Amino acid sequence: MNVSIQPALKSLQTAALIAVVAVVGIFVGYFIDFLITDNPEVSAPEQPIAFSHKIHAGDNEIPCQYCHTEARRSPSAGVPSVNKCMGCHNEVATESPLIRQVSEYWENKEPIPWVKVHDLPDFVHFTHKRHVQAGIACQTCHGPVETMDKISVHSRNNDGPTLLASTTGEIMNSETSAVAATQNDHWEMGLCLNCHKQHDVVDGKAVRVDDGGFDNGLDCWTCHK
Amino acid sequence: MPNIDRRDFIKLVGAGGVGVGAGVVLRESIKHPKEHLIPHVLAPEDYSSGVATWYNSVCSMCSAGCGISVRTREGRAKKIEGNPSHAVNQGGLCAVGQAGLQVLYNPDRLTGPLLQSANRGSDGFTQITWEDGLTRVASRLDVLRAAGRGNRIALLTRGVGGHLAELLESFAEGVGTDQLHHYDYDHPHALYAANERFFGKQHLPYYDLSNTRHLLSFGADYLAGWLSPVHHSLGFANSRHGGDNRGYFVQIEPRMSPSGAAADEWVPAKPGTEGILALGLAHHIVASGHYEGEDINEWKDVLSAYTLEKVAEETDVSESVLRRLAESFANASPSLAIGGDGAGNNSNGVDTLVAINALNYLAGNVGEVGGVIFNPDPAGATSHSRQANYQTLAQLAESARAGEIDVLILNDVNPVFTMPLASEFKAALAQIPFIVSLSSFIDETSALADVILPSHTYLESWGDAFPEQGVGFSIGAVSQPVIAPLYNTKATGDIVLDLARRIGKPMRWDSTEDCIKDGWNKIYQESDSNTRTESFESFWTALLKAGVWGKKNHLKTDTSRPNANTIASIGVDAPTFSGDAELYPFVLQPYRSGMHDGRAANLPWIQELPDAMTSVVYGSWVEINPKTAKDLGLTEGDLVDIESVEGAVRAPILVYPAIRPDVIAMPIGQGHTNYGRYASNRGANPLEILSPLVDDNSGNVASNATRVKIVATGKHVEIVKTGGKSRDLGRDIVQTTGGDDHTAQTNSIPITVIPT
Ligand code: SF4
Repeated sequence: MNVSIQPALKSLQTAALIAVVAVVGIFVGYFIDFLITDNPEVSAPEQPIAFSHKIHAGDNEIPCQYCHTEARRSPSAGVPSVNKCMGCHNEVATESPLIRQVSEYWENKEPIPWVKVHDLPDFVHFTHKRHVQAGIACQTCHGPVETMDKISVHSRNNDGPTLLASTTGEIMNSETSAVAATQNDHWEMGLCLNCHKQHDVVDGKAVRVDDGGFDNGLDCWTCHK
Repeated sequence: MPNIDRRDFIKLVGAGGVGVGAGVVLRESIKHPKEHLIPHVLAPEDYSSGVATWYNSVCSMCSAGCGISVRTREGRAKKIEGNPSHAVNQGGLCAVGQAGLQVLYNPDRLTGPLLQSANRGSDGFTQITWEDGLTRVASRLDVLRAAGRGNRIALLTRGVGGHLAELLESFAEGVGTDQLHHYDYDHPHALYAANERFFGKQHLPYYDLSNTRHLLSFGADYLAGWLSPVHHSLGFANSRHGGDNRGYFVQIEPRMSPSGAAADEWVPAKPGTEGILALGLAHHIVASGHYEGEDINEWKDVLSAYTLEKVAEETDVSESVLRRLAESFANASPSLAIGGDGAGNNSNGVDTLVAINALNYLAGNVGEVGGVIFNPDPAGATSHSRQANYQTLAQLAESARAGEIDVLILNDVNPVFTMPLASEFKAALAQIPFIVSLSSFIDETSALADVILPSHTYLESWGDAFPEQGVGFSIGAVSQPVIAPLYNTKATGDIVLDLARRIGKPMRWDSTEDCIKDGWNKIYQESDSNTRTESFESFWTALLKAGVWGKKNHLKTDTSRPNANTIASIGVDAPTFSGDAELYPFVLQPYRSGMHDGRAANLPWIQELPDAMTSVVYGSWVEINPKTAKDLGLTEGDLVDIESVEGAVRAPILVYPAIRPDVIAMPIGQGHTNYGRYASNRGANPLEILSPLVDDNSGNVASNATRVKIVATGKHVEIVKTGGKSRDLGRDIVQTTGGDDHTAQTNSIPITVIPT
């Protein structure tokens, strides 16, 4: 007797095809999500109040640490209290609709629920204090905040050089701008390592290492502790 | 390629769609979630986000009153450490103290007032408002008070010291009741009674372990539980570190405790004969001319019956060992004898501890550095004068049964768990028409409550402490809230103050903080005006910052002498036990392992902390001697019933070499039926089967005086412990050598001199 497995295989083939289409679908879905939510526009999230760093830090040249007071003494840079905002805005631009929003929070004694933009995973130990005290400019990692109306984690649109403060505190151009800027795109380990490879700490200040071969701060547990 | 018909096409489109959807969901679910940065509205002064703030306070997990420093960040308590400036613990902290965070963050903590709306003892508690809860309680109190029947109100609190004790006192007065009882299972009633009889002192003296050169500890597990374990550990370390003058430590107890294991010598005397042994040593000291006081003849008379020969027979310790102990104790200077729960919780407990005092007196240790030093009177209230012993609680139960109690207010106290079943305490409570509890957890006692008004934990509230066992000089510490209350709870003091206001008997304070501050203002006013700070406010600020206050007022010169009557009254009877020795061949020793009296059983850190001697975690066990195990044909893990005249508990056997064959031991703390997910339905509670045999001199139950038998159940369980075998079974894994041997061997090693 002649038995054929063809009919059985046929239904299997259909099932296999369906499975393949489904798996491909997963990849496509994942990628679509990536495209939609990971472009710079979207990853610079809407904030409860359209606060502009450009107006504050750029146009009016208010130093970063005037508001982010904790940066030099704490692991986290600190978000200013509503009281701090009102310190100026009791007087300044009180009629602007945005400032009205701030005063509303203040009058209701409610905090402003800012959305966190710059975030490191919990397994990374990072401290602002050390970096700020070593003279690293905020912009080294955060990009040219003073030009941003809306804070974004990406600096793809940013052509400016990455900045590094000199030991005297003034900001100078860094030769590592090209590398740092690309690393900056993703806020991943490369961003940290790149800088740690090229700088040493002398008398509490970050200084460039002239010739490679340098290992300070390259231990895993510098950040993963 | 198969032909795709219409149906297959629809299937493919469906699969593709589902796949894409799954892909989006997958990425969304593994993507970093959106987080918020919530700033302060108004930033507090002493706060930097990301930077820890430390607050000094007091550990309230036991009555030792260690000082703590709590690390807080972003308004959350993160870690508890010992306060290095506090004379009791000097930066140290025991495991239970460390685990205090798990009281604060315990998932079983009550988050707001509850009303029992079903049967008592059921879990029919429903949420109510504070207003509702307080009104319900206040109306009951008010009716009784107004009718002059305030004495039908009883207050039962865990041992509370300091100014909070005064607040409770004042409340009791306001409602017109004298039924105010503090209760801690391990309160050393016998020790207080013995010191009062021998030295005429109301307070405990300071036992200076730190400077002693020879310690005789009669059943005092000073390293792991007795009085002030952290302080004793420091003293032990200090006395034992290096040098020729190293202290020699002897532990006399039928079951080896951690202190026994740390000692130079372990003497397993028969249970309950510790006092006889002490008098035997006293006899030898007097008879061999080590004591030369004026009252020597009186001592000779009273000790004449305690010859070494007779004592050796009664205690099961050989004459030569006794002689050696007596000689070295008398010759060492300073030496110190202490008596703990092992000695004090017997039918002859107080007499035993008096005998130990006598030993100190005869060896000249009283009032000496390294001996027994009297504490000055504490600067604030301690709970001792109100501490209820077994008799007092039995009396309370009796009143409840007779219908003489209408309202019972419980504050963080769990006598249903620690009282023997024979006392029928639980059934008695059920007779009380209205029970209100201020506990943070539903433990076995609070489960019987009609209303629960949960109080803050100690890390959220004000208080202060004046450690009863002291440090030889006046010391006190303030407990301050280290974080804002997590839940809808109130401070115990504030609840009481509120109730007092509602029944028209307001007290003179507005809040607990006010009461504590007021108390310290008095201490400030009484202090030396030349040396104190300018104002009370500056004193208060400094006090909160330091977390501790002390005064240099040692009483080293006080060498209270016993009078002739006291001496004549000295004598220790043979111990009595409940249960027939034939039927119940073993003496049960319930001892404190890591869980205190059971109050720490709901803390997972403590549950998973291996027991110091057996390394067992998460459960109960029965320690028996290998010989006993062999005779009974039992091995580790065999489930047995431990039966006394009063009842039985079930636990697995653990073969433990360092226990007398006629004694078995069980740790206290497990066997909860309530008290949250970590504590309940785990292990067994040996206190349940104790006989209510009372030492009349202390009024407390003789918890080491119950005889039991072991009944095998034929079942077997695996005991969970971190250590494997405790012996190397002849494999010579750990090779040892004696001190002299070692010296001889090292001297005989040829030294090769390398020419330079
Ligand atoms: S000994 Fe008592 S007071 Fe001291 S840390 Fe331990 S539990 Fe707290």
